[in-house]
Formats: sequence, structure tokens, C-alpha cells
Amino acid sequence: MSNKNIYRPQSKFQYSSYLYIIPAFVFYILFVLFPLGDTLYTSFTEWNGISEKKWVGLQQYIDNLNNKKITSSIVHSFILIIFYSFLPIVIGLIIAGIMIRVKIYGLTFYRAILFLPQILSMIVVGVSWRWIYAPKGPLNVGLDYFGLENVSRAWLGSFDYALPAVGFIGTWVMFGFAMILFIAGVQKIPTELYDAAKVDGAGAISEFFNVTLPNLRGEIIVALIFTVTLALRNFDLIWITTGGGPGTSTMIPSMFIYKKAFQQGQVGSASSLGIILTLLIFTLVSLILISLRERK
Amino acid sequence: MKKIVVLLSSLIFFSTGINAETLRILAEAGDEATLTRAAAQFEAANPGVTIDASYLGWDDFMATIKLKLADNNPPDLAHGNQGFTVDGTLVQNGLIISLEKYADQYGWKDLFADGALAEFMWSDDGSTWGSGSLFGVSPVAEDVIVFYNKSKLDALGLSVPNSFEDFENALAVSKEAGELPIILGGADGWPIIHVWGIIDGAFVDPNHTRGWIFNPKNFEFNTPSRMDAAKKLADMAAAGYFGSDSLGIGYDDANAMFINGDGVFNLTGTWMTAQLDEGMGDNVGAFAMPTSGGSSVAGGGSFALGWHISSKASNPDLAAKFLAHLMSNDFVDDLMEVGRVPAQAPTIAPTSNLQAEVIASSNALVGANAKTFYTDWATPGMYDVVTQELQKLIGGAASAEDFISAMAAESLN
Repeated sequence: MSNKNIYRPQSKFQYSSYLYIIPAFVFYILFVLFPLGDTLYTSFTEWNGISEKKWVGLQQYIDNLNNKKITSSIVHSFILIIFYSFLPIVIGLIIAGIMIRVKIYGLTFYRAILFLPQILSMIVVGVSWRWIYAPKGPLNVGLDYFGLENVSRAWLGSFDYALPAVGFIGTWVMFGFAMILFIAGVQKIPTELYDAAKVDGAGAISEFFNVTLPNLRGEIIVALIFTVTLALRNFDLIWITTGGGPGTSTMIPSMFIYKKAFQQGQVGSASSLGIILTLLIFTLVSLILISLRERK
Repeated sequence: MKKIVVLLSSLIFFSTGINAETLRILAEAGDEATLTRAAAQFEAANPGVTIDASYLGWDDFMATIKLKLADNNPPDLAHGNQGFTVDGTLVQNGLIISLEKYADQYGWKDLFADGALAEFMWSDDGSTWGSGSLFGVSPVAEDVIVFYNKSKLDALGLSVPNSFEDFENALAVSKEAGELPIILGGADGWPIIHVWGIIDGAFVDPNHTRGWIFNPKNFEFNTPSRMDAAKKLADMAAAGYFGSDSLGIGYDDANAMFINGDGVFNLTGTWMTAQLDEGMGDNVGAFAMPTSGGSSVAGGGSFALGWHISSKASNPDLAAKFLAHLMSNDFVDDLMEVGRVPAQAPTIAPTSNLQAEVIASSNALVGANAKTFYTDWATPGMYDVVTQELQKLIGGAASAEDFISAMAAESLN
């Protein structure tokens, strides 16, 4: 007399479905929420990593925000947004625009080549570009060859050019990602829209601004969030290329977090800076989402 | 029942062995050759003892050493790093033990001049540095001296300088002849600390500098002689003595360039001896920088990373016995053979011309009590401040006055 096979009408709300998210949720709690909560708590304490935590309230937040080197590193991060986010998206859009308009022989090949930087490890990218930018590296040798001895310099050792130089590496890495995203996005735009535009007499540029761009809103939001976040939390590329130097000219907040936590034994202060950076990224991403969302 | 007793007792006998013991060591990777040799010798002399050494590269080692020693199962013997950031924290948290007992037992303090081991001495609560109990030892000296390209110096008609002013003249002559006077890997920041240590030492009383490093809050950084040193470094950079690209060149690249014939002088540490020897042979020489006026010598430097015994070590006596082996007179020649500069006088002849000159330079610094450690030891934040400010000074982005005031401000942190 088993009643296993008796049909029971399904309740509207199935609690058993929660079972399916438990594994992921447990990981989320263990590796995201718990560390975040712990970092938040640590940020209100003075802690060298091994002794007792000493509660100091908001003091470390105040100290960090009053530290001119840290605030100027946040400014550097905003400058890097231009290189990591704005330029790659513009370049990606232009390439996507060209690729849909012009039939290029061996398109897949070029697409793969342009996407390549994206799949390289940042360490590999950093080491390679350090060589390219070196005083006797290929860039300077090339400039000298064309008689531009006045332009060639130790790019990563220059107080004026180090930040744009590392920024440009970011542009090189990120534009392939934006491009692939946009090319994929373009393919889902109904061809009728392009036909209609042609009938209305739209040229390439008008077609781009009136058909392609508005239909890529979703992809642009994704690209913006991804690249802006990377610009702000970026660490490895700059650590490898300049280490924040010369002086403090390429210092960014994540580098202070690392130095404080792992080199200076100020884990509490590092945590508070980590929380500040998290809030900053959260705010910027929210602004992007709010300002670019589709208005119904 | 009898059988069980026999079985148990034989198990206990075989599992403990006669003297079976393992000494666990965690070391910075630079000491691998030294330790491999010492471990083999120690194991041979102490049957039943096994040395289990593991190594981490500098960055990984420094980032994790405090956590490893705070662990419930830490290594018995480990390197630290001089200063409040590592050694001070280890003492403050009771993670390493005082070596006073062993220093008396093995006579470590008698090996060196009075106060020479001050960099390993702490008050028992770890709040003051430079005096108190001995918490570490090292058999290796690391000095910052001047290496030079012999054929270039000859071709320029110059000889080894007798005073800092002589050295400056040599720089001017080199520059005039189209040579790069000093090769510097300034992109890494820390190599400039070595250059600064030498120039600072040429002008400032070494006692004052050491006092400042141990106690930066109570020793004035901003003294007239130190301002002279800062201005001198700024002038040297402005005169192009480091070339125009030094901030774009890393330390390893700079040394490779020096080996390949770039630069007349290379101001760096004795840890480079083996590499320069191999790369340049008889074409490289070394001297300790003479001070301004030439009455003494100047240079940064200290012992190498100190050895500490964990407070949780299962057999601290065994760990100390191994340290005694490293510190013993017998081991001095082994240090020479693996390319380190021993802190005690060696008994064998130097293996090369360069090693002879390096040891002479090192002896000159020790004899004049002139070693001034490293500027970045002074405070936990000093490494960043001094590297950044020195880059600015060398790159012309800050004046000597800016440098001195930034350093004086960090001294109070």
C-alpha cells in the first residue's frame, strides 16, 4: 500500500526547489558573504593580522580618506576608467560597426587576433609591455628609427607618461572584449531595421547612430560595468609594470590595500580601504545601471 | 596479554626510533644553497635528526611569515626580517623566543664587536628595538658597497677613490667621456635605498643614522649633514650621473646591463658578488665608499635575515644546536663557497679577486663601525615613503627639502 505514486496537486510554492540552490548558496555564504562581513567588522578594528582585534570605530576610514596619497590614487583610478572602459568601448563600437558594414575576407581570423589580449594572463601582458616600454625596448627603438629621439623615453619611469602608458595597456587588453560583445549584439538586430534605414536613405554613419547603437544598449551596459569595475579594482597589471611608481604617480587604491595588509601589518586599515573601494564600485555600477536603463 | 605488551613496546621503540627527530625550517629562498649544505652536515653529525627545510621567494615569504609562525603547527626555525613590521610583531605576540640562553651557551655575542647584534635585540614586550634580549642571529653579512668596471676605470685614467669628493670627480670624468657613471635600477624603488644609504653615510654620522632607525621618533631625521646628503643625491641625478632612464630600468636589468658593459659604477649589495664574478670575471672590482673628506668609509648593510626559534618549537635546544652549526667557525668557509659573505673572518683564501675585494670592503665597514642598515627599517610605512620619495628626488619631481620633510614626517608615524 504505497502512496508514492498518488498524484498530489502541486502547491503554488514549492519549498523543495530551494534544495537546488542550497549548494550554490552555501558557497556564496562561505566565500562571499562571510568574508565580506568579516572584512566589514575588521575595518572597524586595528589588527596586525595575528594579535587581538582592537575596536577603533570609524577612525581608519577617516585616516584613509584624509590620506592625500590615497585620495590621489582614487583620482588615478578615475583616469584609468578612460583607458580601461571609455576607449575600449569606443574602439569596440567602431570595429563592430565596420565589421557589419564591410565584408572582410578572413573575418574570423582578425576577430580572434583582436580578442587575443583578453585571454592572456595579466602577468604575461604586464611583463610583455614592460619590455615594450623599456628604455631600449621595441617602442623606443621604433621611435628612434623614425627620427623621433625627442619622443622616446623610459615610459614607465616618467612621472608624466607612466599613468597613460599603463592605461593604454588596459585599452589594448579590453577593446577585444568590447568588440566581441558588440559583434554578437549586432547579429541579433533584425535585418529589417537596416533595410528600413536604407530605404529611408540612411548612410553608414546615420545607420550606426540610429540602428546599431540604440540596439546595443544592453551590451554597452555590460561592457561598461565590466570594464569600469576592472579599472577600479585593477591590481596585477600595475603591480607588474610600475609597482605604483615612479613616486606615487601610478598608485591605485588596491595597491594600498595589498601593501597595508601584507607588507605593513595594518589589516584593519586595509579592510576599511577595501570597504571604501567596494562602496565606490557599487555606487558607480548603480549609476551606470540607473542612467542607462531602458525607459518605458 | 603478554603478546600485546610486546607488540606495544616494540611499536613505541620503532616509532620513536633512537633519536628520530625532525627539525622543520622555513627560509627565504636566497638561503637555499647555504641550508642544503648545512643540513647535510648537521644530519651526518647528528644521527636520527632530519632537517625538513622549505623555501619561499622574498615577496611570498614576507607576506606570510607572521601567519606561518602564528599557526598552531609552525616551523621550528624560521627567518624573520629586521624591523617592527616582521621581527617586532613576532616578539610582541610571543611567537619567537629569546636566544639569550643559547647565545651564552654557544658564545654568539663574543663573535662580533659590542652592539653588533643590536639589530636582533628587542625589549621582551617588543616595544623597543636595538637593545634588550637577543631574538635572532645570522652568520651572513650583507653590505652595500661600490662595484666598478675595472677596464672602464683604467681607460678613463682613474683609480679607486680615496674620498667621496674623489668619487664625484670620477663621476664627472665618466660623464664627460660619454660613459654612464652609475647604473641604477630605479624602477624597482628599493635599489635607490642602497644608493641613498651610501651617500647618506658619506655625510652623516653612522651612530646617528642607526639611532634614528631604531627609534625614529626620538632622533631628528632633518639634520644639516643629512640635508647635504639629500642635496648631493639630487645634484648627482640632475647632472645625469644615473642616466636619463634609471627610473624605467629594473634591478635585475640594471645588473645585467652592468655585466654587459653599461655603467662605470654599480652601488649595490655584496649579495651580488657571485653573479657579478661569474659575469665579469677580473673586470669587476669593489670598494667601500669613502666618506666626505675620506677619513672613514660609508655604506648601508646589516646581517642577512635573522634566524628565529618558534615559541612552539617541540625541541628548541635542537633548533639552537642547528643555529650554532650555522654560526660556527667551521661553517664560515662553506658560506664563502656558496657565494655568501660571512660575518666572521674566513680562514680560506678568497676564491676570486672580486671576493677578496668584497671581503676587504666588508671588513673596512665593520672596522669603521660604519654599516647603517637600510632606511626602510625605521617604520612600517617607511619602505613606501622612502622608495617613492627617492624616485621623486632622482626623477627631479621633488627637491631635497621635499624629500627630507616627507621622511621626517614618516619618522613620527
